[in-house]
Amino acid sequence: MVPLNWYLTLAAALFCIGLYGVLSRRNAVAILMGVELMMNAVIINLVAFWRYLQPTNINGQVFAVIVFAVAAAEASVGLALIISIYRRRNSVIADEMNLMKW
Amino acid sequence: MPIETLIWLIPVPPLLSFFLIWLFANRNKALSHTIAIVLMAISWIISLYVFLTAITTEHFGAEVFGHSVPWLPTGDGALNMGVMVDPLTAGMLFFVPLTCLLIFIYSVGYHNFGGRLDPHDVHSTGSPAHNGVEPMYSRFFAFLSLFAFGMLLLVVADNLLMMFVGWEIMGLCSYLLIGFWHGRNYDDPKKITPRQAAVKAFMTTRVGDVFMMLGIVYLYFHTGTLSFREILYNEDVLHHLAETPSYIVGLSVAAMVGLLLFAGTVGKSAQFPLHVWLPDAMEGPTPVSAMIHAATMVSAGVYAMVRMFPLMSAGWHHGEALTPPMMAMGFIGAFTALFASTIAVAQRDVKKVLAYSTISQLGYMIAALGIGAYIAAAFHLITHAFFKALLFLGSGSVIHGVEHGVHHTHEHIDPQDMFNMGALRKKMPITFWTFLIGGFALSGFPFVTAGFWSKDEILADAFVANQLVFWVLVISAFLTAFYTMRQIALTFLGEPRTHSAEHAQETAWTMTTPLVILSFFAIFAGFVGVPEHFPALGELFHNLNVNRFHEFIGGTLIEHPEAVEFNVFPLLASIVVGVGGLTLGWLVYGWKPLKAGQPDPLAKPLGPIYTLLENKYYFDELYDFIFVRPARWISEVLVYQVMDKNIIDGFLHGVARVAVAIGIFFKGAEKVIINDPPDRLADFTQWLGRSFRVIQTGRIQSYLLIVMLVAVAFGGVYYLMLSGLVK
Amino acid sequence: MNFVAEHLVSLVVFTPLIGMVLIGLIPSDQKSAIKWAAFLWSLVPAGLSIYLWLAYAAGGVGFRFVEQAVWYAPIGASYHVGVDGISVPMILLTGILTPLALLASFSIQDRIKPYMMLFLMLETGMFGVFASLDLLLFFLFWEIGLVPMYFLINQWGSANRRYASFKFFVYTMAGSLGLLLSIQLIGLSTGTFDIVRLFNIWPGLDKELIAGVPMPTIKTVSFFAFCLAFAIKVPMWPFHTWLPDAHTEAPTAGSMILAGVLLKLGAYGFLRLVLPLFPEQAAAYAPALAFLAMLAIVFGAFAAFGQTDFKRLVAYSSVNHMGFVVLGIAVVARAYGVDAEGWRQSAAIAGTGAVLQMFNHGLSAAAMFFLVGVVYERAHTRDLNELGGGIWQYAPVYGAVMLFCSMSSLGLPGLNGFVSEFAVVRGSWPVFTTVTAIGMLGLLFTGAYILKGIQKVLHGPRNPKWAGHGMEMNAREIVTVAPLMALMLVIGVWPWWLADVINKAVVSLLG
Repeated sequence: MVPLNWYLTLAAALFCIGLYGVLSRRNAVAILMGVELMMNAVIINLVAFWRYLQPTNINGQVFAVIVFAVAAAEASVGLALIISIYRRRNSVIADEMNLMKW
Repeated sequence: MPIETLIWLIPVPPLLSFFLIWLFANRNKALSHTIAIVLMAISWIISLYVFLTAITTEHFGAEVFGHSVPWLPTGDGALNMGVMVDPLTAGMLFFVPLTCLLIFIYSVGYHNFGGRLDPHDVHSTGSPAHNGVEPMYSRFFAFLSLFAFGMLLLVVADNLLMMFVGWEIMGLCSYLLIGFWHGRNYDDPKKITPRQAAVKAFMTTRVGDVFMMLGIVYLYFHTGTLSFREILYNEDVLHHLAETPSYIVGLSVAAMVGLLLFAGTVGKSAQFPLHVWLPDAMEGPTPVSAMIHAATMVSAGVYAMVRMFPLMSAGWHHGEALTPPMMAMGFIGAFTALFASTIAVAQRDVKKVLAYSTISQLGYMIAALGIGAYIAAAFHLITHAFFKALLFLGSGSVIHGVEHGVHHTHEHIDPQDMFNMGALRKKMPITFWTFLIGGFALSGFPFVTAGFWSKDEILADAFVANQLVFWVLVISAFLTAFYTMRQIALTFLGEPRTHSAEHAQETAWTMTTPLVILSFFAIFAGFVGVPEHFPALGELFHNLNVNRFHEFIGGTLIEHPEAVEFNVFPLLASIVVGVGGLTLGWLVYGWKPLKAGQPDPLAKPLGPIYTLLENKYYFDELYDFIFVRPARWISEVLVYQVMDKNIIDGFLHGVARVAVAIGIFFKGAEKVIINDPPDRLADFTQWLGRSFRVIQTGRIQSYLLIVMLVAVAFGGVYYLMLSGLVK
Repeated sequence: MNFVAEHLVSLVVFTPLIGMVLIGLIPSDQKSAIKWAAFLWSLVPAGLSIYLWLAYAAGGVGFRFVEQAVWYAPIGASYHVGVDGISVPMILLTGILTPLALLASFSIQDRIKPYMMLFLMLETGMFGVFASLDLLLFFLFWEIGLVPMYFLINQWGSANRRYASFKFFVYTMAGSLGLLLSIQLIGLSTGTFDIVRLFNIWPGLDKELIAGVPMPTIKTVSFFAFCLAFAIKVPMWPFHTWLPDAHTEAPTAGSMILAGVLLKLGAYGFLRLVLPLFPEQAAAYAPALAFLAMLAIVFGAFAAFGQTDFKRLVAYSSVNHMGFVVLGIAVVARAYGVDAEGWRQSAAIAGTGAVLQMFNHGLSAAAMFFLVGVVYERAHTRDLNELGGGIWQYAPVYGAVMLFCSMSSLGLPGLNGFVSEFAVVRGSWPVFTTVTAIGMLGLLFTGAYILKGIQKVLHGPRNPKWAGHGMEMNAREIVTVAPLMALMLVIGVWPWWLADVINKAVVSLLG
């Protein structure tokens, strides 16, 4: 088997890519995509740790599946919100949703 | 009705008249003069009754009629006010109400009652009537009544204070009546207007009054009373006053009080140096001049001195040195007598001659008192009242007559200037003869005039007491006769010098009747005072029981004054100067009567002296320079501007400025120290907030970035802590 | 009736205040109703004060009609009121003058409601000062009298009113500070503010040290503080300069009350408080007081003579007349307890004269200011040269009234002014001879300025300037001044009814 670190590095890299995407993308959908990526990186991390450290404990798999489900639910909610905003403001640029600005 | 009540009632009718006319009758001329005359007559009748009762009472003087009531509470006691009739008062009561009544009647004619109101006078102008009845007729009678009240109050008063009350009320009426024509203006700015003359009269007499008040106060303090009987008819009190030293070294209390009281008389009786008001008082209507300056007010001054004689002469006995008040009276009286008669010689106005003549005659009376001739002074007071009132009323009649001529001819001349008259004896016979009688009485025409007897007695007393006074009085007697004849000649003799004099007319009966009555007294009043030791006539009158004046009036004093021995020298002197003065006057003015436009024959020979006399020795100008102008300056500039506004208010404003400056300083300090720091704190908080709110971009990505950074920071801190490098 | 008799003094003091409240309820546009209501209501305290006078005069000496109630017990201040022979004439004066002043105010159009309310409040203040027998109460009423006067001048006065009202208020208040200081010192030292008790305990209080300050110092300080307060109010020379401005700029009725009553508060303070509480100090400083009184008499007369403003002339005449009051008080102070050469009787006469002069001056000053107001309302000028004279032709009644009142002011014998001036002069002659003699100069110039007023206003040819101005007095104005004239004559001819009450009180004051 490959060492654990390789999976962790992969997950970290994925996470950072996702983070970068969240922080720098203008399009709200793209930000969601970044969030998805960050979630997937977390899942990879979770699975790697389960497989390499506690293969017999089923909690690891359960946790990963929960995270999957949450990610999916959250993505759909997020998209629903984006669609709602788009219908209102005709735009999905995150910068333009700044009503909470001072 | 007891006689005391009657005495209280004597001053009341004129006072009642004043109020009635003022409040109710002031639009009805006939009602006004009726009220005035009827009430004055009532007063006169009561006075006459009291007089007759007095002269028929035995030892009147030791016993008097009197009554008083408490008036002002003074600590544990009270000051009383009351009335008293003693022989002197009785004498006064004889002539005062009579002359007042005659003047009242005269005023009816003087103010042209019965004439129509001139159209110019329909709206009151405050000036003399143009050619009709006087518009302010009622007011005149109201004031005249008040005047009579004041005089009668003074006469019946039993104490100095009440006398002073009457004194001052007369001063007020004098002011009101001299300034009766208060709206009158003259074209010549140097000629004094009636309202100015009124103020002059009031203020000049007030100077004397102020001193008199101090005298009264001082006397009251020392004796605890002001009642005449208690002070003047009381040897112990008089002795005590004469012996106690006063505040001024060398003067006893009696002397100082006497001098202070005399100052009042100097003012009221227009003696030098307070004589300046009387000639200008001629601006008032002639009945006023007669009333004030003959019958009443100026006589009041002499009366006061006669009344206070025991005090003035306290400590003096016949033949000894005079007390200071007597010396003052003698000196000022004699000087004034001469001084005024010199001025009268050069006057042109018929009333002014009489005014100066009055001043001079009052000087006679005062001088008489000064040398101790008590009875003579009182005698002359009474006779003078008659013939001077006669002369003044006569002059008023003359002026009326000439004014009639002025209206007739429309000439523009001064109807009072004697040089515009002449030959009035033909047009105004009654006035002429009565004036002549009065003038002769004034000059002391021997034996048949009252003036002769009274003047002679003064001269007789003076001859014995003080030669200087005697000769001064003799010279002024000469001048008196001279200017009197001058007056008569210029006015009545010769030919008319103007058209107005030609068309003059005798005046109404209301004016000539009083003249006739007064001339009767001017002739016969003297006989009551014929000295007992006078050759032939003295005994004659004694047998007729007429010449009881000396003995009666003498009862006023504790010790009856002795009649002076008969001496032919003063008698001769008096006859010589009297007749001589009249003759000289006739020679200068009557023998070759003046023609129109001709100047006074004395003017050239006397030259600058004549001008000096005509201008009354320039005393008015002197007083204006010394007193009036500085007084104005002190009042307007020194006290008000410099002291009050500049110094006191300046100081206050300075204090205010300092207070304001302190306030400004504290305002600034408070602002910097107390007010601003919290503001600054608030600003800082706001700045802080403003700076921090940039974080609220509204963009979720920024927020997330911050979250991440903070998480990293926390993580780093946590890691460091866990690894033990940082606690 | 019993209630009235028992609480007569309090009723007198407070009925004006009740009136003030009642006037407040009338709508502001009912001008006539307000005026009449105020005037008629003011007749109530007037009637009560006349009744008080009659009741007092019929009885004996000393403080009577006394009421006492608890007020502020911890510091020793109580509601203590009563009258004696010195205060009851003043109460009578106030009671008589206020309705007349209100009657004189009928011509005011602008904001008549607050005007009337302020006046009634002022009346309470004045009554209260004269009636109070407690120091704190005295001070309270003193200050109550100050504020309405300020507003009356400030709001209804003439051109220079802001300066004048401010000067009056601040100057008098500065004096009141002294008053407060004194009162506090006394209250602190003795533990009571009750005047009657203080008469007994204060003069003898000697050895105690209060807050480390020795008693003589406290007494001296409080003496001078009292003196300053009252000196400003009287006013004494040289603290008098607020008076010409305040009197001149005040509305007619304001001047009437200011000159008629408020000045008397100061003199009353001297008699009621300074003399009995500080006999030795008062006696020691009496010559200075007399000297200042003389200066007031002389300089007041001179300054009045030098005026061109008619109202200011009358204002300075107040300085002149109050000088006599102070002179009389100085004599009483000097003779207190001393019996040199019969000074006691002189002091009694002088004291009677002083209080009588207070009453008389109240009458004549009120009348004179009223007459000035009559002319001012029609001619809209007070300048004597601008008036130009000749008014007597248009207004004979006014002329007669003015002559009468002027003669009272001048001190003509036969009218009231003379009686009190004579009494003061008689009283002060043996005690302060030189001062009295010099003061006569003031009396001389009194004649000058009065005659100047008469000449410049009344005398002269018919002045065309005033034709058609309706210069003559109307019925209301005659009714306003007639009671004053009647009193002037009555007191001048027969002063016994008034002087006797005062005399008894002064004699008992002298002990």
